[in-house]
Amino acid sequence: MPAYVNEPAENGGRRHWVVAAVFVILSLVLLYLPPGSQQRIATVLRSSVLRPFVRTQEALAAARLRATESERLRAVLDSVVSASTSNTVLAEENRRLRGLLSLSSRLGPSWKAASVIRAGTVGSESTFQLDIGSADGVVVNSPVITRAGLVGLVREVGERTALGMDWTHPEFRASAMSEDGLTTGMVETVRGDFREEDRLQFNGTAFHTSLSDGTMVLTTGLGVIPRGIPIGTIAGLADEDEGWRRSYWLAPMVEPGRITHVLVATTLRGLPDDISPGWTTDSIATLDGDAEGREPDGPTLFPDSVEGLAPDGTPEATDSASGRGGDGL
Amino acid sequence: MRSTWRVWGVVVALVVLHLFLHLGLGFGPAAPDLLTVALLLGARELGTGGGAGLGFGLGLLEDAFSVLAFGANTLALTVVGAVSARTRDLFVGDSVSFLVSYLFVGKWMRDLLHWLAIGEGLREPFIQVILVEGTLGAAYAMGTGLIALTLTGAWWEKAR
Repeated sequence: MPAYVNEPAENGGRRHWVVAAVFVILSLVLLYLPPGSQQRIATVLRSSVLRPFVRTQEALAAARLRATESERLRAVLDSVVSASTSNTVLAEENRRLRGLLSLSSRLGPSWKAASVIRAGTVGSESTFQLDIGSADGVVVNSPVITRAGLVGLVREVGERTALGMDWTHPEFRASAMSEDGLTTGMVETVRGDFREEDRLQFNGTAFHTSLSDGTMVLTTGLGVIPRGIPIGTIAGLADEDEGWRRSYWLAPMVEPGRITHVLVATTLRGLPDDISPGWTTDSIATLDGDAEGREPDGPTLFPDSVEGLAPDGTPEATDSASGRGGDGL
Repeated sequence: MRSTWRVWGVVVALVVLHLFLHLGLGFGPAAPDLLTVALLLGARELGTGGGAGLGFGLGLLEDAFSVLAFGANTLALTVVGAVSARTRDLFVGDSVSFLVSYLFVGKWMRDLLHWLAIGEGLREPFIQVILVEGTLGAAYAMGTGLIALTLTGAWWEKAR
């Protein structure tokens, strides 16, 4: 005698399991879709259902910025206006000389300012959203920087928004060199047992070179990131293979969790090869010092420029022949 | 019918609140995972397939900002949704102790599945993600969910 079963309930239960299995298979398919297809789905969601929430954060971030940073920004703006006013003549002269030498302008229009928005969802750690996109000239792998140095790279681009990853992301890599260009290697994130222990490491440097603590590490320009962007400073020896290589810990120039505004390269082709002049430490120190109402730590002018001036402040004609006075480039 | 509407009203409210806290305000782990609480509540109103479907939809929302592990949240929430719906056939679930265990285990399981799904390259250490953060996150979601479901009466209305 066959066991009693509730036929409709059994059929319904089987149907439920089939539907559940279909959804599980669909989610597995999603997981292994090509990145382009995944990106399209994510973009549709971000620009439709989730758009009101993203807009809320954009509005709040703007309000927070206006409330907390207005005084500091005003101080920085005042010092910038003051510096630019007194440097107008030098800038004009610099522009003319650059034109004569057929050099492109420093940094210039290849960079665009953007606001950073962080989604607090699971899986979005080490990533951020920008409020500019392909319509503004942003492309995949565009470097993202602040006045302090490298933040990360753009990974996905929509029309009006873009998604980027900062240097804490496990897939972040940057070809790097010491400030003097003699020691080269690769900067990458090293995971700790806990997230707070994640650190930047300058890896694979030649054993015969040695770097002291505090040495600035910059990008080399190999790959998609332009040359000369500060990444961090040496903060101790991490590891060494006898006779083979050394690795150093890096103190990062940028704390990704604190950034609110960044500059994004809007076209990779238009970038100058070496943009290190954009990060002259003395100019940063001067700007910060002026904003805080104290004397700057470093010189406010390039030393050779000062040397190129006569006591009365007029340029001396002999320096160009000696090869000095070219810092203005 | 009235109880069903109340349950779904609470589910929608929890989802909107989760997105507002995590996306709108950018709180991250500081805000509880109300999406999982909403799924655990809603899935018990549905069959196994419906629970999986609900988890699939909610997981897609969560994955919209995952650049390199797209689909991991969807897979985790789909499985949790299916299993949650199945618990309705195994447990009546009208006691506080069941609700506490259900929310805690559901959220912990969701974190474990997500950790497994994201792949070895992106995986953070097990001790941190599952044992420490997972346990704390599960306790946080459980506490918040307990308060929310008690205040709205959605859980006990459903169990009645």
